[in-house]
Amino acid sequence: MSATRARDAKVIAVDIDDTLNDFTATLRRTPFPYHARYRVPEARFHEYLVGIRDGAPEPSDLLSSEYLSLRFKIHEQCYRHAVARGDGIEFMQWLKSDDWRIVVCTRRDLRRVGDCTKEWLSAHRIPFDYLFSATNKIAFCRAWDIALLVDDEANSIEFGPKYGVRVFYPTLRQGIAPPSDARGFDAFDEVKRWIQESG
Amino acid sequence: MDPRVGLIRDFSRTFAEGTAKVETKDCGFPFLDRLLRGGVELEYGELTPLRLLHRYKLVHVSEARMIELLAAHVDKEWNVCRYFGPTANDVFCFNVDNNRKATSAAVVAEVEVTVRALEGYLREVECEPLVVASGRGYHVWCRLGAPVENARLYEFLLPMAARALATVTAFDHTHIKINLYPDVRLRNVVSLRLFGSLHAKTGVFSRVLGPDGLLDEAASWDRFADFVEKRAISTATFDAAYGSLASLRLLIERR
Repeated sequence: MSATRARDAKVIAVDIDDTLNDFTATLRRTPFPYHARYRVPEARFHEYLVGIRDGAPEPSDLLSSEYLSLRFKIHEQCYRHAVARGDGIEFMQWLKSDDWRIVVCTRRDLRRVGDCTKEWLSAHRIPFDYLFSATNKIAFCRAWDIALLVDDEANSIEFGPKYGVRVFYPTLRQGIAPPSDARGFDAFDEVKRWIQESG
Repeated sequence: MDPRVGLIRDFSRTFAEGTAKVETKDCGFPFLDRLLRGGVELEYGELTPLRLLHRYKLVHVSEARMIELLAAHVDKEWNVCRYFGPTANDVFCFNVDNNRKATSAAVVAEVEVTVRALEGYLREVECEPLVVASGRGYHVWCRLGAPVENARLYEFLLPMAARALATVTAFDHTHIKINLYPDVRLRNVVSLRLFGSLHAKTGVFSRVLGPDGLLDEAASWDRFADFVEKRAISTATFDAAYGSLASLRLLIERR
């Protein structure tokens, strides 16, 4: 099947974490007992875990560190255990049945978690055509001429409309600062309706 | 076939079959259509923060398509990265990088000192390395006459890297990061740019490091050809090199 699509064709990018699943809630509620395989002394493990649950960045100037290594291991478990949104699954299945080209676009490091991401999507019967990693999803959508993005990230919500990308975001996300022309939704059915209305 | 493609094919003969990563600024669905010709599939793509650089992990790449990818690589259309063989390899590599965000685009003094120390220790055990600039550090490659199991290679690489890092006493060793290839903990996950790549940020050819500094592009290709054709280490030499690190290996295992 050809991947070629024009700008106005049916192509959409959809994020995973905190959009199709409850990643942050999983990170905060899941118990992570200490284990030697984390390769961090126990006292530091508990200290780091607090920061990881709060989304704290690496405190030092290092690109690779004990904290970042532990954060990856904790996040990886959350990727596997996060609960999928039922209406998100239905929305993705509707996109597929309506002949949309679906690009799953995530901030995850797909080098290391590509397989577990695909397994999670497959286990939840979430269809997609391509899997991409991007830290700036608006830049990605512009580069790929994708006009629609479903994503919870503040950067996407703020800058999407400015750069011609229609962004739909779950309103469950905390800390979003309107005003923005992006549209918040409570249920994925709203996104489906808005897409259908805009033809 | 371009002789440079032949050299790279010889160099990568034990790498994972049918798998490659392409690094390019090109993107979009029409481009992807062309890239995926001949039954190639996209495992995943990545948009890096570096000047809209894209990476595409490709699987089911036939030999004919791999040659086409490599031809474009030597013609500087894109960089091809390859994955080490899953069980045994006839090359190994130390990827020595600057580990600090503030200066991540530069090769800092700590990295230079570590790489020179590593080169010296490898030559001590008669493993002649090829050192290639990688942007914020160097790839230090060695080549073997016959494949060696990855676990055994790793048991050589780890103490050798530790020995080089221990040399850098004047600096904080956390400022340097050394990744080891093949890494037995990661199969088919991490790849390395092949010789002939362009620097991701600057677009400058990744040159070979000689005794007096970086060689120019033509001299770098000559050195690479010499490395591929003449510098493979015999099994006996590797075994002796491996044995020479026994005490250091034991120390690491105890820790």
